[in-house]
Amino acid sequence: MAQTQTAPPTTGPATWQPKVVAFLCNWCSYAGADLAGVSRIQYPPNVRIIRVPCSGRINPLFLLRALQNGADAVLVSGCHPGDCHYISGNLAARRKFALLKDLLLYVGLEPERVQFTWVSASEGGRFAAIIDKVVEQARRLGPNRKLVKPL
Amino acid sequence: MTDQWITFANLDRLLDRLRERGQVYAPGKDDQGDFALVEPRRGEPVLLEYRNFRLSPKELLMPRNQTLLRFKDGRAEEPAWPEGETFLFGVRPCDARAIQALDEVFVDGESPDPYYAQRRARVTVLALACRQPMSTCFCRSVGGGPGDGTGADVLAMALEEGLVLRPRTPKGEQLLASAADLTTKAPEAATEEAEAHVHAAEDQVMPVPVDETARRLRDAYESPLWEAAGRKCLGCGTCSYLCPTCYCFDITDEVRGGNGRRVRTWDCCAYRLFTLHGSGHNPRPTARERWRQRIMHKFRYAVENHGHPFCVGCGRCIRNCPASLDLRTVLKEVGA
Amino acid sequence: MTAGHEIETRLREVAATLLCDKKVDLFLGYEKTSLPLRTTPLFLTSADEVERLAWNPFCAANLAVYLPRFFRAPADAREAKTQPPAPTVGMVVKGCDARTVTALIQERQVPRDKLVLVGVACPGMVDIRKAERVLGEQEALGAGEDGQGNIRVVVEDGSEVTLRRDLVVADACLECRSPTPALHDALLGSPVEAAETDAARRRTAEFESKPPDVRWARFQEALSKCIRCNACRQACPMCYCKDCLLDQTRPRWIGAGTDLSDVTVYHLVRALHMAGRCTECGACARACPMGIDTRLLVRKMNQEVEDLYGYQPGQAADATPAMSAFAMDDPQEFLTEP
Repeated sequence: MAQTQTAPPTTGPATWQPKVVAFLCNWCSYAGADLAGVSRIQYPPNVRIIRVPCSGRINPLFLLRALQNGADAVLVSGCHPGDCHYISGNLAARRKFALLKDLLLYVGLEPERVQFTWVSASEGGRFAAIIDKVVEQARRLGPNRKLVKPL
Repeated sequence: MTDQWITFANLDRLLDRLRERGQVYAPGKDDQGDFALVEPRRGEPVLLEYRNFRLSPKELLMPRNQTLLRFKDGRAEEPAWPEGETFLFGVRPCDARAIQALDEVFVDGESPDPYYAQRRARVTVLALACRQPMSTCFCRSVGGGPGDGTGADVLAMALEEGLVLRPRTPKGEQLLASAADLTTKAPEAATEEAEAHVHAAEDQVMPVPVDETARRLRDAYESPLWEAAGRKCLGCGTCSYLCPTCYCFDITDEVRGGNGRRVRTWDCCAYRLFTLHGSGHNPRPTARERWRQRIMHKFRYAVENHGHPFCVGCGRCIRNCPASLDLRTVLKEVGA
Repeated sequence: MTAGHEIETRLREVAATLLCDKKVDLFLGYEKTSLPLRTTPLFLTSADEVERLAWNPFCAANLAVYLPRFFRAPADAREAKTQPPAPTVGMVVKGCDARTVTALIQERQVPRDKLVLVGVACPGMVDIRKAERVLGEQEALGAGEDGQGNIRVVVEDGSEVTLRRDLVVADACLECRSPTPALHDALLGSPVEAAETDAARRRTAEFESKPPDVRWARFQEALSKCIRCNACRQACPMCYCKDCLLDQTRPRWIGAGTDLSDVTVYHLVRALHMAGRCTECGACARACPMGIDTRLLVRKMNQEVEDLYGYQPGQAADATPAMSAFAMDDPQEFLTEP
């Protein structure tokens, strides 16, 4: 389904850049992002990182609020199942995330707007690759107009 | 100015003409097939065989969501005041009376509310008298009636071939004067027939005992009937939101960074949050107190403050309550 | 005597016995009310008034919504001293009500041993709005059930109109998979089988068959009528939180008004909170003054929970709700890989 609005400019001073919000769990994914930084692995600067103690802390309202406030895509990343610093936080979260993703797809939101991954503390390169992918997908989708609340 | 007569064809022309001056709302069908006050498309004939609409016209004067001001970069700006006129045709006499009640609250008091008043000044109400009240109507018991014109600028009464239009205010007279080419002076037979229909409708409205209600309520403050009814109440808010005279509101600020807006939204005394204090104390902690307060406000405090109940007998709360609470039962039982 | 009348007579006998023998402090049921096509909840405390109890096609409300407030834990030590002991509550339950009571037991909101459940297998209850739409602008003055289960309505001019049951039965009833209450202490009348068990699945499949932008448009259009009255939440027996997240002001998650973005988030969040908990009684849709299909989202969520985790709410009082549990091998197809 093509966007009915004019696509934003991709060159020049008025270039639109996608805003991606990433919720990273402190012990694995945030550390993985750190590792990418320390290893000088480049990834797009469009991502705003919010550190949470565990992916289990994520309330689906965080994601919905981010989209309402104008985020073009949201990423949630936690430890691989079995590696959670709090043993089972990510396992509890996994069910919530599955339903949240299914619900947003059901109502017609683009699947690339809300994404979930597991990234461990040693996976700096993987983290960068995921950010690359998410930002690129958001760029192709264009600005998020569904769910945005104009104030 | 005397009663005027307009044919149905000319009524459609009149509404078309009013559309050039502003917005026109008239009876039509919503997308679920229920009767509602809608903005009819040009050429769509007005439908007149309805009882009343589920929603009251209140939302056109006091929107559910009204931005009072915006603030941006440290400066506040008031939103643009409404321009152009609004014409409401087909409002039932009960709802027109309710508009008058809202005016008493928002316009006539010591500090008029400009957000309501500015809108109200631009609204012309053309009420349509009722031919067939519903079993839940009790307008006559609260000072109104199927042919009451209080709150209307023009009262219309429909007959087989057209409508009798009775101006009620200078605004109504001006409107009819501007449409003089579409109307004629109403023949006496038409006026008589219209009033006969009104009398017939009046006889059908079931009475509810409201004598001395304010005093009876004052004496019944601790009555067990509040608990009996209150325990069924779900606190859903349907009654207030559909009620044409309920006017309680909440004001919240919606902020993003340093910018945002101040919004007025409808509120409901049946909600627990309505009187919840910051300390956690709630003077109306259960549905018993809240149901009592609802009846007291409408039938006692309003009488003491405004001289009449804040209920127009439209019956919407009775028809739509999911727990089937009926305030007429309370009015019958209180002090009985 | 129709089957319904027989059940009503039996129900009154059972309730009277329970109250007389002091097996229950209170019996929760339905009674006739001032308007036809409706009943109102009845909180019966004396066997002398048992004739008020009614059983008819208009007993649609889910009475389980009144249960959690009987069993609220005291807020503090002072309340613990003054609070009266929890009552033993008898109540009449249909299939959906029994599922709800089971779900409330699962979530520790009501104790099983304080309930006496009188079950009635339910043939489906009348949706007032559907009936009124068939009647048009004629007003119903009285209504009852005939021998075939259809609804006979007396209208204003004194004439009678017969409404076919299947045309005025609520959507939730049409989709109900267990009309016979599984949890009960007594069962009145004969068990009823669900007419079809995949009605709900067909509806979600129909919605899902549309492309995403069409789904979004239909979703937004359905919600555009929402007036944020919160009737859906208040009528829902599973929404028993003392302080609803969506009423919070610190922080304020969503605005209080009818901005479509806020309305959308409200319903999305409610659907997520109901996923795997909603017992599909339809109380939300019945309470909604705007006639919105409030079950549009939760229908799908419940199906997802069933498909992903093999769990249905309200089936077994000792089962752990799926969204309060997890397994190492839970499916994770939703993940993004680089």
